[in-house]
Amino acid sequence: MINVSFYLRRLHSLCGLVLLGGVLIEHLLTNASAMGGPEVFNNGLAMMEQIPQPIFLGIEICLYAVPILFHGIYGVYIAMQAKNNPSEYGYSRNWKFALQRWTAWYLVAFLIWHVGYLRIYTKGIMGEHISYALVQSTLANPVVFALYAIGMFAAIFHFCNGITTFCMTWGITKGPRSQCVVDKGAMGLCVLMCLFTLAFMSSYFM
Amino acid sequence: MAEQKKTVKFIIERQDSPTSKPYTQEFEIPYRPALNVVASLMEIQKNPVTTDGKKVAPVVWECNCLEKVCGACMMVINGRARQACCALIDELEQPIRLQPARTFPVIRDLLIDRSVMFESLKRVQAWVEVDGSWEVKDAPIQNPYTATTAYEISHCMTCGCCLEACPNVGPQSDFIGASPSVQAYLFNLHPLGKFDKEKRLEALMGKGGITSCGNSQNCVEVCPKNIKLTTYLAQLNRDVNKHALKNIFNK
Repeated sequence: MINVSFYLRRLHSLCGLVLLGGVLIEHLLTNASAMGGPEVFNNGLAMMEQIPQPIFLGIEICLYAVPILFHGIYGVYIAMQAKNNPSEYGYSRNWKFALQRWTAWYLVAFLIWHVGYLRIYTKGIMGEHISYALVQSTLANPVVFALYAIGMFAAIFHFCNGITTFCMTWGITKGPRSQCVVDKGAMGLCVLMCLFTLAFMSSYFM
Repeated sequence: MAEQKKTVKFIIERQDSPTSKPYTQEFEIPYRPALNVVASLMEIQKNPVTTDGKKVAPVVWECNCLEKVCGACMMVINGRARQACCALIDELEQPIRLQPARTFPVIRDLLIDRSVMFESLKRVQAWVEVDGSWEVKDAPIQNPYTATTAYEISHCMTCGCCLEACPNVGPQSDFIGASPSVQAYLFNLHPLGKFDKEKRLEALMGKGGITSCGNSQNCVEVCPKNIKLTTYLAQLNRDVNKHALKNIFNK
């Protein structure tokens, strides 16, 4: 018997934590270089552009596009199977369960906008280079800044809560104490990553 | 001067047939100490008149043991799935809202059809294939520590609280829910039942099996028998993952 849904779901979990977690951390680190000023940020980007175009595109497709599309599309299917009920059962884990799905819905819309506008339209079609000045002018609009900040917070929460549920799904944390410890650690990490994001995002205007 | 008589107010969600639209009715009954929801429903049954004086058909519900052992009287009381027999009026906020557990098909009023749980128990083979009987001295022995865990899980009365509270169980999903999944674990612990462990794990790996658990952990919060459902679900996750690795590499 081939249990397709079992393997898909486990792949969804693994892909989310390892690959998309990696994407998130790469984005955090790359963008954090903006705190060093325009030069550091632009130099970093220039270094990335040293990678030959076909290899770079290959990385983008294999490590970014495919995992995001798989995790996103299968994730929508999972999210549709849930009837969130934190108003009736207001336990912390149930709230996080609902938030995991709400952040997912926001991220689907956010990523279509973010990838569609910056990667496909600006960089792909218009052939513009992503630079400190470009990001600065994009974020100068307070609405865009807010939408981006929420997008980052959503991704960070989704990732950190994903660590907790990953540990349960893979049977790593079994008892309530170990699950609680991982949960608290992950939420601590979530706060730190959000503050870090806020720091480099506002560094454009300091 | 006559003292104002204390009463208990109920808002009950009713439904005349499995397909008809639900509606609510209000009832008021005289208070008495140690009253519970089942006893209140019996009181309403004696005189099914709503607060606005309309005589209506008595409210239909199910109950049996009246001591939190059979699971039959599970319903949603003030928004929470629980047993009506041990829901004491003194501990509930009024008016008390009673609703059927809509994760299951409603037959009438508060009466629901829980046969889906029985189907799930059959699916995960929640029984032991007995291939003989033993004199006491020859019977396979059970580790007493394992027996303690098994005893805890065997308290499950298939009431369905965990399914009603689970956001991933319902008409929108095919998840079998915590209770039947954990019953598979119970029979995997049994000295004879464990021979069929792989069959049960295979069943749990199928569509709507343990894979569909989203870790909201409502099940363990609402379980009236305090079964450590999430702990056993995590153990089952371990077991099915190991089994999946075996499937991949041993074949």
